Amino acid sequence: MSDAVLPHAVVLEGVTKKYGDFTAVDDVSAVIPTGSIYGFLGPNGAGKTTTIRMILDIIEPTAGAITVLGASSALAVRERIGYLPEEKGLYKKMKAWAMIAYFARLKGMEKGAAKRRAYELLERYGLGEFANARCETLSKGMGQKVQVLASIAHDPEFVVLDEPFSGLDPANQQVMEDVILDLQRRGATVVFSTHVMEHAERMCDRILLIAHARKVFDGTIPEAKALIPRTVLLAGPPPDAFVDLPEVASARRLGDGRVELVLAPGADPQAVLRSCFERGLVLTSFEHHEPTLHDVFLQLVGEEARTASFR
Amino acid sequence: MRNTLLIAGREYAENARTKGFWINLLIFPLILIASVKVPELLEKKAKPVRNFVLVDQSGEFEEAVASGVERFEARRVLQELTAWAMANRRRDLEIPEVDLEDVPATGISDLLLGGSGSTLEGLIDLDPGFLQRLLDPEGLEQVVAAIRPFLDPEAPDFVPPKRRFERVPLLPGVSPDAPPEEIVRTLKPYLVDEDYPGASRPLFALILIPEDAPQQLLRPGSLPTARSDSQDGVQFWSANLTDRNLAEVVRDALDREVREREFLRRGVDAEVVAEVQRTSVRFVAFDPTKQEGEEAVSLADTIRKWAPVGFVYLLWIAIFNVVVMLLNNTVEEKSNRIIEVLVSSATPNEIMAGKLVGIAGVGLTMMAAWILSLVGILNYLAGPAVSWAGPLLAVVRSSGLLPLFALYFLAGYLTYAGLFLAIGSLCNTVKEAQNFMGTAMVILMVPLFTMVFIAQDPNGTLAKVMSWIPFYTPFVMMNRAAASPPTSELIGTGVLMVFTVFAMLWLSGKVFRIGILRTGQPPRLLELVKSLRTPRQLR
Repeated sequence: MSDAVLPHAVVLEGVTKKYGDFTAVDDVSAVIPTGSIYGFLGPNGAGKTTTIRMILDIIEPTAGAITVLGASSALAVRERIGYLPEEKGLYKKMKAWAMIAYFARLKGMEKGAAKRRAYELLERYGLGEFANARCETLSKGMGQKVQVLASIAHDPEFVVLDEPFSGLDPANQQVMEDVILDLQRRGATVVFSTHVMEHAERMCDRILLIAHARKVFDGTIPEAKALIPRTVLLAGPPPDAFVDLPEVASARRLGDGRVELVLAPGADPQAVLRSCFERGLVLTSFEHHEPTLHDVFLQLVGEEARTASFR
Repeated sequence: MRNTLLIAGREYAENARTKGFWINLLIFPLILIASVKVPELLEKKAKPVRNFVLVDQSGEFEEAVASGVERFEARRVLQELTAWAMANRRRDLEIPEVDLEDVPATGISDLLLGGSGSTLEGLIDLDPGFLQRLLDPEGLEQVVAAIRPFLDPEAPDFVPPKRRFERVPLLPGVSPDAPPEEIVRTLKPYLVDEDYPGASRPLFALILIPEDAPQQLLRPGSLPTARSDSQDGVQFWSANLTDRNLAEVVRDALDREVREREFLRRGVDAEVVAEVQRTSVRFVAFDPTKQEGEEAVSLADTIRKWAPVGFVYLLWIAIFNVVVMLLNNTVEEKSNRIIEVLVSSATPNEIMAGKLVGIAGVGLTMMAAWILSLVGILNYLAGPAVSWAGPLLAVVRSSGLLPLFALYFLAGYLTYAGLFLAIGSLCNTVKEAQNFMGTAMVILMVPLFTMVFIAQDPNGTLAKVMSWIPFYTPFVMMNRAAASPPTSELIGTGVLMVFTVFAMLWLSGKVFRIGILRTGQPPRLLELVKSLRTPRQLR
């Protein structure tokens, strides 16, 4: 373990991966702050998994450099890293605890400690009674939990989870969120990939948005939301009455007779309300909603995502 | 190193827990025991007394057939008696063990028949009435009493074997002088499945000697019977086509009888003939490659010559079994993506080495179990009944085949393991792997086909050529091991073998590193070769 805590768990610099003529990841740069929960977002086939594999040095980038926990290759610090791959599999004949203990030992834990830790984790996340069940007898969701536990049993500083929520029911998705938050509470840096924006929005300190092999955005969630203009829905005067308000960029009438205002960058919806009041515009309704990450996603990669997913 | 051992340990534990492994472990000793014990059991228990009817219309052969059957029964009693005596002999009495090194190679049939046949013949020669006495309870008691002093005081009583063949009289209603066709027609149902009156089971056989049988002899110069269904001569009717004992006994007895009469007719003393017939030259085979003074080809040499075939077979089964395990494990890890977690925890070399060591452990366990059970069972069998077991054991132990076996197992295993590991790493499903397996199997099958030819001519052209084909070296050299191949070949092929092992492991290591993370169709050969030149570029 390093004594000095580095500011960045992972640094990507101009990372590119080509397979022949096909470019899977194109010139992606980003930093993952130590202790953060970091989301890799993007449509299917965007290059998330390839990026993750390059971070773990399972595959080598064609160009660019990656630093993980201060090392130039994740393999050099592999005992401090936990990894859950996208497709989840277990050794069918192994017992759940043995599976977890085995991977913990591969990451350097001692035999007795690994076994104790496996039982403790299974107990903590509601699988205590299945500790001695063979993996082939577990349901898909349970198996996936076992695999997650196997990837974090050695108490890693840096955890990479590829699509940890896929295939889980809502209750188990909640357990998965708890696992991630517990990891952060203990000081670990967590990277996970997903295309379900709600998880990212709830949990991530920062996100990296990739589409078509390229980085589209990298930053905090508020920063992401600030990228798209806010809108306000109101009813009363016609659209023309609002266009000269300083906070409003454009206005139009919707099919149901209401008016949609697109606000100027950085404008506060409350200010719009105040301006209307000052100008004596009588509103019969005023509706404002914060843009969600979902909106940001659709706005930034919507068109691309639709074409990409059917490629 | 630590990870390699961990992975090896897991591979070992997982495969050693499978049903297939235990079946493999147990099947060999079971077959070995069964192959000795089942015929023995059948001999003792399952074979009921077999009833036969003898109709001698010629009136000349009845006596001869009856005494032939008696002689057969007496010999069986004698065999059992010998076995019983040997098994219960006093331990403090020094009875010289049969040393296989001194038994001529041609004597193998005697030895395999249990008890030394030639000794028994000698005994019978000395005392022609001896056999007859064995069938008489009183006479048998005398013989047993004579042996007793040499036996363990606690030896159980001798139980003579049940009679195998028992003559029953012809049905009361049938005249022995009726035409043969009629007798056969009347008795046919009893020969097939109907219980014969007074015997409570169907007849085993009908021996019918027609009136003119003494005139129907085959003589030198006479043509053999043209038609196979010809009813001339002695007729032997039986629904059982596999047990030919009675047919042979009867035929021998009749042959002996007609020959004896022929001698008499021509004025030759039958006693003289019998003596002449047992006269022979001394004939010993020598092996020029052996030490001076030990050139005689002994039975041990014969065993030594054929033992490698058994070892080649074991080698093949063991290698084939474990490399298939290796293949399946690798494909499983690939198809469920555990391999990615492994690769993020250990280097590909560690993973590969772990798998190789773990599965080799499984193979070695299997072979150790086989060899231990072989030695154990031979020890257990070694005794009068299976008199070859003990000496065979000694030959196997002293011939230096076991260390060679271990060596060739390792070399063969590593060569084929490399091949199968590479295949496994390139395939995503067992189905895909099976396509490649076909080819690999064809390569692997060849030594099985050639092992008998090579044993017969261990330093011939086929053997020499095949020894230099790296994939076959371990099998073929094992095959030839007992025939002391030229040292130059032994060393040359050994070096080639070691080189092959390293080349295979190096190459499969490269394929493995690329293959384990690869998805989609297995690559074409050209694509694979290209990707080997530019590592980690294959998708």
